[in-house]
Amino acid sequence: MSEAEIRQENEIVERSRKDIRAFGELYEKYFDRIYYYILRQTDDEEIAGDLCSQTFVNALNHLPKYEYRGLPFSAWLYRIAGNEVNKYYRKKKVTKVFSIEEIKVRELVERSDDTWDEDLIRKLLEFMKDLPTDMLQVLELRFFEDKDFKEIAYILEMTESGAKMRTYRALDKLRKNFHIKVKYDE
Amino acid sequence: MSKNDIRLRRQRFARGADRYRNYGAVMERHEKEKKLKIVIRAFSMFLVALIVIMLIVILGRLEKKSRTTHKPTVSGQVITVRGQIV
Repeated sequence: MSEAEIRQENEIVERSRKDIRAFGELYEKYFDRIYYYILRQTDDEEIAGDLCSQTFVNALNHLPKYEYRGLPFSAWLYRIAGNEVNKYYRKKKVTKVFSIEEIKVRELVERSDDTWDEDLIRKLLEFMKDLPTDMLQVLELRFFEDKDFKEIAYILEMTESGAKMRTYRALDKLRKNFHIKVKYDE
Repeated sequence: MSKNDIRLRRQRFARGADRYRNYGAVMERHEKEKKLKIVIRAFSMFLVALIVIMLIVILGRLEKKSRTTHKPTVSGQVITVRGQIV
């Protein structure tokens, strides 16, 4: 997203503060992305629908407190959505789910010898199960949501260098364990 | 035990988001929560004011009570002026 687009989006936010109906434009723009972000972390359409609605209600309730930091408005929505998901898991006390599409895993991992087998997928999933949740969150935002580190840091309420470090550590583990090239590897 | 449950989806997510897209309902919930927030705030302020008034009344009554029960007492000390008891 270019700087001009981000600024333009912030103008809509400013308009929404005065007239709440203007927020509809942002709702339509980001509904799908937030919904699928939550769905990937719950694997339940009903729950994702509820949490997504709650995310936008919270955004509307706290719009007067929103501070523009040169990031897309979606970063704030992702942050609220993440908090809603965490709140849901704290309440339900169940193991956190990460639902990953096979096609996305294929995009992420490019085997150097161009082969792809079921065994590798199984091992990869087993390996990912034992990764710390915060590492998985960073990987998800970086590779499945295509967020840059500045945005990831804002969404997960951490420093940019912290987000980078977590990603590189997770990728290093992937490389060492599976001898694979990872998307964005040069 | 594993820290997280990783599930692999063979197919892309079905495009079912539209079922839950309802800006009208979101606006309605927002308005409802806004009203509830105002009611809670007003009630809290009323409660605080009530407590302050009650404290003032109770303190006033206590002060009045202490004034009526504590009559000035004469000490048992005998004061003499030039050999005479005053």
